[in-house]
Amino acid sequence: MKTFEEKWTAWVDGQLSGRELAEFEASLPDKAGSEAEKQSARKLRQLLRNELSLRTLTNEEFFSHQLRERIAQESGEARRTSAGRGSETSTWWTIPRLLWTGTVSIAVFVICTVLVMHEKNPSEESQYLTQILNARVDPVVSPNATVSMFEVKQDRVTVLWTEGLQSLPADYAAK
Amino acid sequence: MQTEATPAQADVSELDLVRRCQAGDTEAFDELVTRYRTRVFSMIYNMVHSEQDAWDLAQDSFLKAWKSIKRFRGRSSFYTWIYRIVMNVTIDWLRKKHVKGAGTEFDDAIQLRIDPASKTVPKTEALPYEMMERDEIRARIEQAIAQLSPEQRAVVLMKELEDMQYHEIAEALGCSIGTVMSRLFYARKKLQTLLRDVYENI
Repeated sequence: MKTFEEKWTAWVDGQLSGRELAEFEASLPDKAGSEAEKQSARKLRQLLRNELSLRTLTNEEFFSHQLRERIAQESGEARRTSAGRGSETSTWWTIPRLLWTGTVSIAVFVICTVLVMHEKNPSEESQYLTQILNARVDPVVSPNATVSMFEVKQDRVTVLWTEGLQSLPADYAAK
Repeated sequence: MQTEATPAQADVSELDLVRRCQAGDTEAFDELVTRYRTRVFSMIYNMVHSEQDAWDLAQDSFLKAWKSIKRFRGRSSFYTWIYRIVMNVTIDWLRKKHVKGAGTEFDDAIQLRIDPASKTVPKTEALPYEMMERDEIRARIEQAIAQLSPEQRAVVLMKELEDMQYHEIAEALGCSIGTVMSRLFYARKKLQTLLRDVYENI
């Protein structure tokens, strides 16, 4: 259902025909006044066409040149932006890599620590201490037994002090 | 709707040019710009009444068209499609200008009155008083158009100057045909009120 404004516009532009045209013209209260308005609208159109005709673009070639420059500039910026985005995505320190690096670092640290400790202890540990530590004191047989060790590294001297032993372990024997 | 090339040639080669543009061919786009730059500039000029602003807005419109040419599906003509961009750019600009409280269209129109760059009057033939009279009429028209809303300006200029069909205008403005006809009704009424003495006395 067209509004009055739509029908009027179509009527002025000659877009109504047949039954629609007859119905619209019949609905106009002042036919002569409406016809005058229609003519007035057509004169307005003619005035606009005469006075606002195509306005020549001065410096047409410069217009195109400037536009080409802007397109080239925009394209360059777009390429740089996409390249920037690409380098962002290939950044070394991504979260998985960070985790991986952290894990590897901890593992290396633990391995180094174990190796250093392992390297350090055996040469400095006395043979007796090893044997005493290996030969556990049976708490049932000797409930109050204690074993103490005193050691002076630079003199390469180790003293074992045992107390409360009821009997020596069977495998306790100096080699 | 008029185009600068013959319709058949324009339709075939235009589609070809658009396809080439979509593949990144800037020379093809340059060809499209050459075809439409004057019409686009003229349309914008009649909406904003300033050569410099019309130039800048035409540049922005074509640049925007280049950036979004890949989204052109060919459902409408290239001309209608670019008019949609032109109208969006120009109407946005007019709205922003209005929000800033400019209302400087009249100033531009007054400048135009003494603008010797007008191409509508052949300088070699017109007498000075005739030029003055025509410039005055043109200034009156531009002042009247400046009193319309941006959407009404767009509709009345596309219809009266470009002779575009209702559906083409609706497509360019992204509204219904009914809205186009309604805007045209009110725009014409307003212009008739403001310019009746001009066109009745010519």
